Order: sequence, then structure tokens, then C-alpha cells
Amino acid sequence: MANGNTVSNGEYLQATQELTKAVASKIRYLQTLATAIDNKNDRLVYQLIDGDRYSEQIIQARHGSADVDNENLVSDIAAKLSQYLSTNLLAYLAATYPFFYFEQIDLGKFQFYFGNWWDRRLFGELNIIKAQFIFDPAEYEKLRRAFELESQSKRLNSDKIGMLSSQADQLQALIDSQEQRDGEKEKIRLQLKKAAQEKVMPWEASKAKEAKQQLVNQLSNLTEQDEKAQDAYRLIKDNEKKVLELSKEDTLIGYEKQSIIAKFGSFDAFEARCESLYRDYIADLIATNGRMNTNE
Amino acid sequence: MSREYEKPTEVFRPQNSSDVEPTESATTLSTSGRLISYNNQLKDGLANGANFTKLLDQLITTTRTDELFEAAQALSTYQLDTAYLTFPQQYSQSDFYLIFINRLLALHSRERVILQSSERYDELYHEFPGINSAGYFIFKLENAVQGGAYYTEKATGEALFYLNFEKHVLRFNSRAVTQLLLVEYHDSIGKEAIKGFANYLLDIGNFLKEDYGFDVDFTLLDPSNSAIYQLADANLPRSIIDQLFVEAGNGGRMLELGENSSPILRLDHGIVIELFEQHNYEEDVDLGWGIKVYDQQHEVAWFDVLLRYEFLRSWYLDNLATLEIQSDALYFN
Repeated sequence: MANGNTVSNGEYLQATQELTKAVASKIRYLQTLATAIDNKNDRLVYQLIDGDRYSEQIIQARHGSADVDNENLVSDIAAKLSQYLSTNLLAYLAATYPFFYFEQIDLGKFQFYFGNWWDRRLFGELNIIKAQFIFDPAEYEKLRRAFELESQSKRLNSDKIGMLSSQADQLQALIDSQEQRDGEKEKIRLQLKKAAQEKVMPWEASKAKEAKQQLVNQLSNLTEQDEKAQDAYRLIKDNEKKVLELSKEDTLIGYEKQSIIAKFGSFDAFEARCESLYRDYIADLIATNGRMNTNE
Repeated sequence: MSREYEKPTEVFRPQNSSDVEPTESATTLSTSGRLISYNNQLKDGLANGANFTKLLDQLITTTRTDELFEAAQALSTYQLDTAYLTFPQQYSQSDFYLIFINRLLALHSRERVILQSSERYDELYHEFPGINSAGYFIFKLENAVQGGAYYTEKATGEALFYLNFEKHVLRFNSRAVTQLLLVEYHDSIGKEAIKGFANYLLDIGNFLKEDYGFDVDFTLLDPSNSAIYQLADANLPRSIIDQLFVEAGNGGRMLELGENSSPILRLDHGIVIELFEQHNYEEDVDLGWGIKVYDQQHEVAWFDVLLRYEFLRSWYLDNLATLEIQSDALYFN
């Protein structure tokens, strides 16, 4: 009896075959990955877990052998993969970027500092699966800007420090001139007193009034400066703190620049190397036959 | 010689004297009894004087360190005068400390300080070649509870160390050493001469320790690598370390992070300075900040790097309220 809901034998067979094939493909994928890990073949691991990136960067082909569906099989164990891959990658980075100091913050998660000096800056995180630095945008920009300012023989904070210093000079001058102001105020008060006592002819009244107003203005101007001077000590202290912070940053960035120049020659070369990190690393894995095997 | 001792000899009047301390009630003594008693007192006074001269001989001429110490200790508290016999010409007790220091260094063939006598002030004093243009040194007796004496620079009154024979204690005063050697002398006296003087102070401490088992606190002069220079202020603000970082950078050096992330500074000849927070894990209490100075030969103290490196000196002096190295509060405040 024909029933619309019943599949034919032929269709059932086909479905079975296709599923078996699909499952076998996944088993094959996972088997290959397991063997790669077993053989410590990190290059192959990289190829298996992100075929697109591998093809694009290494084989330079647009449509590679990416197996995105299978790759999804391992997406939930990315942290474990990262942890495994970190051993060789960190060894490579230690040699290539000796000024980056890595710190594990979670399973397969690493952040890094620039340098081993006092108050070094936290400079970013490492994406191990992609073999890529994720720089802290603010810190990176400061460094880039500092290199840019080199042509003007300036440091990142030279202008700000210069401004704060001249501010401090002005404040100091305000404090130092207190005595002089006191003298001037006394003089003006005497003049006002004298003017008040003088008899003024009607036709000179407006002129006298104007002169008096001028004296009053001068006096209030001086009093205003006195008030500023009273606050100046605190402001100078604040200023010093700010200058120290900025000088510290300049010193830090100075060390960072030195480190980059010493290793890469220029900031452009450093950026280019960071850009090609994945390629360089895979090439290194090929050349060293998977690092771990040869080095240790 | 101290003027206070140049009193005229008092005349003894048998019938009318309040100075007399008769052994028995005066009314019960016969005249001959009084004479005998008086004579005995004189004999005791003379014996006391003779003993003094013996000790002084010993202090000046002995070649043995133990005899030297014995004499100095006895003389430093010796009462030469008695009720019946006073000596108008006397050295003060503090002078014996000076003589002792000189002789001790001489016995070790390290005598560099010169013992001088001042006609004007009737006193002995120490003069150190190279820094004698800036002043001289005497001992000032601590007459209160503690006893002992302070080695004091006469012009500034800075007390460099405290010495106590009875307690076998020597304590250096980091504040005075800093003020005198790193501030007062900084512009007028060469570094070599200052270092020579610091070595002399170290010698005193070392010989007292080695020869007599003194308990010595060298504070910032201690060249041992195990020495921890304890900062007076337990809270070291980060901004002060930031300052050192910037000044070190200006001086072409780098304040690095050592183990446990404590800041370290590498100087010439393998000298390493470390600033670190001390913590007592057993009782879980913070012990404040300390400084350590390492060098291969155990020859370099915190004082030495302050003397040698201008950026460290100015950093230390600018923040002295926080960074000052602790001295024994029992003797210095």
C-alpha cells in the first residue's frame, strides 16, 4: 500500500549512507586533529582549526580547504586548544619579541606587558588560535605617536610638561610678587582716600569719577591676584604630581622605543612583523619541524 | 681638661665641716679617733688616686685590647675626687672615650683620627685629616638613665653614634650621618675624604664587635649584603618610586622589576639595589619597606651609593621624611 508518509527503501538507504559519510568525515577530522596533537604537529593543528586563515596567509589561496563545519566541532574547546598551542607560541614570541612579558590570566588566555621595568604598561592580549597580538588601542596609540614625534625631537608629553612648567612658573611669580602687590594696594588706597577728601569742581566731576573707578578696578584686580596666589601652593603641588606622571610615561615609552629599535630597527618594521606574525610563526614551525620536537 | 674640676682644694676643719662623713657619730669619737679616721680617709683618697693613675697608664700604654677596654670602662665612670681629697687638674670622663677610640684603632694599626687638645676650651677632641676644616669631634656624656656617651660633631651638634661600655652597645645615628656626611660636607669636602671618614666609623664598629662582642647597629653604613635598611615610614607612596624611576632614567639607568615585582636598580660594578616590602607571614603583619644593597664583595652600603650616585642622593634627601633609614629609637629621636 502506498503511503505518502513512508519513505522508500531507496531513500532510506541514501539517507543512511549520507549520514554515515558525514559522521565519518567528522571522525576523520577529529582523528586527524588527535594525531596532529599526538605528534605535536602544531602547524597541522593550526591548519585544521582555522583552514581559511591558513589558506589565506600561508598558501595565499582565496578558497582553501577550509572545513568550517568540522572546525565548529572544536569551537567549544578553544581554551584547551589555546593552552596547548601556547607552549610553542610563547617560546617563539620570547625570542622574537623579547620585550613582551606574558602572563596567564585564564585557561588558554594570556595578556602581556611591555618590558620588565617599574610600572611597565599592560600592552594587550594574545589571541593564540590566530597567533595575533590584540594591542590595547590607547597604549599602542601613545607608542605610535611617540615615534611620530621623534622627527620633531619631542617626547609624547613634552608639550604638556612644558605647559605645566610655565604654569608653575606663573604661579610661583604670583606668590613671589605678594609683597609688591601689598605695596601697590596700599598706594591705591591712599590715592582713593585723598581723592575722597578733595573738593571737586562740578565740571570735573565725571572725570574724577572715572579716575576713581579706575583705581577701584585696579584694586579689585590686585585682590583677585591675591586670591589666586593663596591657592597657588596647592596648584603647584598638583602640578608637580601631574608632571611626575607625565615624565614617568615619557620614561616608560622611551624604554619601549629603545626596545623596538634594538630589535626591529624601526616602528614600521615592528608593525610589519606584527602584521605577519601568523605567517612567520607557521613558517618557523615548518622550519624547526614544530619547535618543541627540536628544541627540547 | 675641664674647668669644672679646677676647684681650689678645700681646707678641712675638724670642728666645723659639713663635708665630713664620719663613720661613727662624731660626739662619741675621741680626738685621736677623729685623727685616725681622717688619716684613713686620706689614705683611701690617695689609694683611689693611685688606682686612677694605674688605670690611666694602662689606657695609654697597654698593647692588649682587653686591658684597654677594662681601663676605659673604669675611667669613664671613675670618681677621682673624694670628700677629703680633690684633684684640681683633671680630664673629663668623656675624654677617656676619645683616648679609647684612638688607642683601639692604633692597636689595629688603623689609626687615622688625630687626638688633639684644645687650650682654649680645655678639652680633648678628635680631628680627622681631610675633614678637619669642617669641624671636630668630642664625646658628650649621656648623664640620664642610659649612661654612655654620644660621639658628637662640635660645630653642628650632630651625634654620629652612641657608645655604652657597660651595655656593650654601639648605635649609629642615620639622621646625623646623613646630615653631616651627605649634606654638610657635600659641597666643601671631597668624596674620598668623606668615604675615608665613613670607613673610620665602620672600623670603630667592627673592632668593638670583634674584640668585645658589642651589639652594633650600623644603620645605613652597614656594608653587609644581608643588611636590611629599614625605612622610617612604613608606607612608601608609589609616587616616590615613580620619582626614582624617572630620575634613574634621566641618569641613564633603569628601575627594573625584580623577583616578587619589587623594584631593583643595577649600578656599576655589579651593585644592585632592591626596594621591597617586608611581610611577616607567620603573624601576617606588614613590616614596612626596606632597602637592600648587594655587591660581590660585601663592601658597599646604602651610604656608599648615596655618596657615589648624585641622583640617588638627591632622591633620598628630597624624600627624607619617608625614606630615612631607621635608627635605634631608644637612643635617637
